[in-house]
Formats: sequence, C-alpha cells, structure tokens
Amino acid sequence: MPAFPYYDSKAIEALNGQAVSLLGLFASRGYGREEPAVLQPAEIFLDRSGEEIRRRTFTLMDPSGRELCLRPDLTIPICRAAVEARRSLPARIAYNGLVFRHQPGEPHRPMQFFQAGVELLGLEDRAAGETEILSLAVDALKVCGLSDFSIRMGDLTLFNALVDALALPVGWRSRLKRHFWRAGYVENLLHWLGHGDGQARPPVSRAEIEALLDARADAPLAGRSREEIIARALDRAAEAAKLRLDAKVADAVAQLLDISGPAEEALAKVRALLATAGINLDPQLAAMDARLATLKSLNIDPARVQFTAHFGRNMEYYTGFVFELWAQDKEGPVQIAGGGRYDSMMEMLGAKKPVSAIGVAIRTERVLATKRGGT
Amino acid sequence: MLTLAIPSKGRLKDNCNAWFAERGMVMEMAAGARGYRASFAGMPEVEVMLLSAGEIASSLLAGDIHLGITGEDLLREEAPELTGRMQLIKPLGFGFADVVVAVSGAWIDVATMADLDDVCAAYAGKHKRRLRVATKYAQLTRSFFAQARISDYRIVASAGATEGAPAAGTAEVIVDITTTGATLRDNGLKILDDGVILKSQAQLAASLSADWDADVRKTCESLLNKLDPAAALYPALAAQLR
Repeated sequence: MPAFPYYDSKAIEALNGQAVSLLGLFASRGYGREEPAVLQPAEIFLDRSGEEIRRRTFTLMDPSGRELCLRPDLTIPICRAAVEARRSLPARIAYNGLVFRHQPGEPHRPMQFFQAGVELLGLEDRAAGETEILSLAVDALKVCGLSDFSIRMGDLTLFNALVDALALPVGWRSRLKRHFWRAGYVENLLHWLGHGDGQARPPVSRAEIEALLDARADAPLAGRSREEIIARALDRAAEAAKLRLDAKVADAVAQLLDISGPAEEALAKVRALLATAGINLDPQLAAMDARLATLKSLNIDPARVQFTAHFGRNMEYYTGFVFELWAQDKEGPVQIAGGGRYDSMMEMLGAKKPVSAIGVAIRTERVLATKRGGT
Repeated sequence: MLTLAIPSKGRLKDNCNAWFAERGMVMEMAAGARGYRASFAGMPEVEVMLLSAGEIASSLLAGDIHLGITGEDLLREEAPELTGRMQLIKPLGFGFADVVVAVSGAWIDVATMADLDDVCAAYAGKHKRRLRVATKYAQLTRSFFAQARISDYRIVASAGATEGAPAAGTAEVIVDITTTGATLRDNGLKILDDGVILKSQAQLAASLSADWDADVRKTCESLLNKLDPAAALYPALAAQLR
C-alpha cells in the first residue's frame, strides 16, 4: 500500500462488498453501525493516550486556534460519545471507517486506512464478553472468505497478577506493571532486583522531609499537593530499605515473560514455572483456558493459536486479554485484526466508574490483499 | 556560489564574527542589503547570509543553504534524525547551553527521570489527564522521555518564558535551555540529576540536501581548509555528500 492510496472503482467495489458482509454479520449479533466525526478535538487523544499515540496522530489548528486531529482510531471517539450520551449498558456498537496515522520512519506505509470493528461496552460478565468478541472476530474473517489465519494472544492481567504476587514495595510493583510493554526494560529491572546489591539507605523522618519542603517554600507546588509530595518522599525512603527480590523468583518471572509458542504447550510451561516460584495465578490461567476452548468450538486448529506471555506490551490502552489475527500476503505475515480488553478507557473519558470494555478492529484492506495474493 | 548562513543578531553573531576574524577572515556587509548579506574579503565565491538562528536550522534541513552556524539544540530539534540530512562539521567552542528537564524545587521526592516517571503515572491516575511538559523543544523532549521510558505526559508548546510555566500553572514540568541555571533557580526550579538532554554549543553544519555542484564543493574545501587547516574537515563532509 502506498502512503497516499488511490481507490479505483474496482477497489471501491471490493471494499464496499466486504463492508456490507461485515456490517451484516455485526448487525446480526446486535451491533448497530455508528460513525464518529473524522475531525476530532485533539485533547481526547492527546490527554488520554500517551505520547506514542500522539506521535502518530495528525494534528492541525482550526482558524480560531483550536487544536484538532484526524481520528487515529475509532475506539476512543466511540467510547467518548457513549460516556457523554450516558448510554445504557451493555452497548454494542459497530463501525467501518477511515483512520489516520503518521508512520514515522516508514514512508511506504499508508497514512490512512479502513478499519471495521465492534466495541462491547459494559458487559459485566467478562468471560462472556471475551467469548462474544473472539467469536465475532473469527466469524468476521470467515464472512470475508478468509479461513487461513493464525491467532496470537496474551493477557496483561497475567503479568499484573504475577507482579502483585512478588514481595516488593507497592511503588516498585506499579513501576514493573507500567513498564511491562517495554521489551527488555522489565527484564533488566527484574535482574537488578534479584541480583543487584539492593543497597539500603538511612531512614528519613517526616519532620526532616517537612523541613526540606519548608526550605523551598518559594518554589511552586506545580500541580501536586504538599501532602502528596511528603507521602511519596516517605514511601521512597521506606522502599529503599527493603528493595530485594529472591533471585529464584526474579529469574522465574523473567523466564515466564519469555514464554511463547503454541498455546497449550506454552501455558503448560507457565504453570510449571509458577509452581517453581510458588505463585498461584489459577484464575488468570482458567480464563486463558476458557478462551482456548472458545477457539476450539469455532473449529480453529489449536496448532494455529499462539500464546505469548509478554504479548500486548506495545499496545497502550489495553488492560487484559489481547489478541491479534495474522495471515499471509505476498510479502509475508501480516496482521489483519487486533483487539482486546480496555477496561480503564471509559473512566479515563469521564465515566463515573470503571466500565468493562472489549473490542476488535479489522484491517479490511489487508484482508482483501491477503485474499488476492496470499497462499 | 556557496551559501553560508550565520546568526543575524545577539551574542551568537558577535561570537561568530570574532571566530572568523581569529582565522583571518574579515566580513564585509553587502551594500544595500540592509545587513542581511555579506561576504569575506577575498572570497567572492562565498555568499554569507545573516538569518535568525532558528531559520538557519530550517534552511539547512530544507537544503536552501550549504553551510550554517547555529546552536546544536536548534539543529537537533529541527531534524531529530540528522543522518543523511545534515552533517555537523565542527563545534565552535561558544554558544554553550544545556537543554534540561527541570521540575519545581518543592518536589523534594523527585531527583531523577525515574522519579518523574512515577510522578507522571500517579498524576495521570489521580487527575485523569497527563502531566504537562512545557517546552520549545518538542522533538528533543519526546525522544528523551521515550529513552527514559516515560509515556504518561503531554507536551504543551511554549512560546517564551518557559521557566514561568510551573508557577503560572500552565504546565507542571519544563524542558528548557540554560547556561548557568540561574534563571531556573530564580523560578524555584531544579534540574533533574539525569535530566540533561543535550549539551549544546554553536556548530558549523552542512546541509546534505542542498545542491552541491563541483564548484560549490571546491569552494567549500578551500573555505574549510582556511577555517581549520589541521582537521581535514572537508574529506569527512565529502564522504557524506552524494
């Protein structure tokens, strides 16, 4: 695909035909099509997502000086509209439209492409939601006439639960979780925690910290409260005193992060390692088993389902189950769909409480290309 | 004709003139050019243009000029990836300034980028929006924060007096340029221990996208030999020119 795609009448016909099949399938499962504006206020993307999405978002200024952007995805504007309209939940929403992404360093990639997908918002039964979305993703490719694809999956809660089971100060646990998506970094942190010197620093009292702060009374608090600063300074001092992880446990976690392969074998390895480290993650593993059972019931060959422990790392807003569907085009493997759970999004966008959310997006142009040139 | 741009005002301009004078090159202003064009005595094939420091960086990137002297901070902000676009020929030993990450001195719990990362995450969780970093250096900030593994923040463009942003409440953190740190201290700010993004100074730089015909190359070779006969500056540049 060129950076500036041109759609001739044949391409449009093919895309439209495929879109009709997809939206028909979505409608038959209760997902009505909606369409947010292409041009969006920039803040919702820039404030609620990190610099990684910002880097890839086209922003522009309107003549009055307001910052706007071309939507880099449809999930965020759909969720925002759902929050603002106080939609009754669960809500099932389908979409098919263009998204725009700057591709820094990759000039051959298209900067605009179509995505068709669904969002399932507010279904409390998370397992049922996952089954519903996973089935819909598989069936969507089938109605497009594509049966030759493989699945990669992971679960971000697995790593979070693992970190929570470690004997580490809470600040360090949240640091590990926050950086899970950065390959290499977490492994280095774990090594340092397990094998580093874990030097203890002298304890610091609250009075000492308050005195330090009083001495800087002229400096602005810059968005934080005095109490917030004191509390973190105390936490930091306390953490420094007990920063050490059993080397065996640290190594087991690092090895676990490395596990990737056919799902059934990979999960067996995960179980073995957890047993060695004395960590119980049965609920998370049972959820993974249930997803495998769903795929089996959809007649997906288990050999084509891959579990990767660190999967989901590079995706900013997912919070739990994540999956991708892959096929072959003439240049090699290509991702044709991706989805997962993003339970913190609705609250980030203004909902009063967390709302369960899961969805999938299909790269419809890639699906067509795969069918044309694939094996 | 080889075009060389030098800063049109301020200390950078004075330092530039002195630097050329030390090498026996006297600048003569062109008649009727309102001080925007000049030449060196005895070197008619070099056209000297006086531009703002920022314009010099963008003109080098665009290939509108062959050589330019400006701050390395501006060059790296203009072109985050210099390779293939610009070549730094020689640091000139003046115009020293650091691009730094600075936070309020009241943030006694924050000394390093790792601390800032914790605070960014806590802030995003509590306020449901990202902590704001005011800066004129969006590109440098973005890549430095990425290296430091910080993602929970957003950049707000600063048009001037960046150091006042935390007190004014328009941003929580700043990335700015400093020479002695005095302005930052006066505003109650401190530089993070590992928060120096770039130690900058004036650089003689070449545009790799300008039109380097044979005559221009010859002129450039003799100019660089005159500026620093010992350093073999031209061969290093020529290797990068297509």
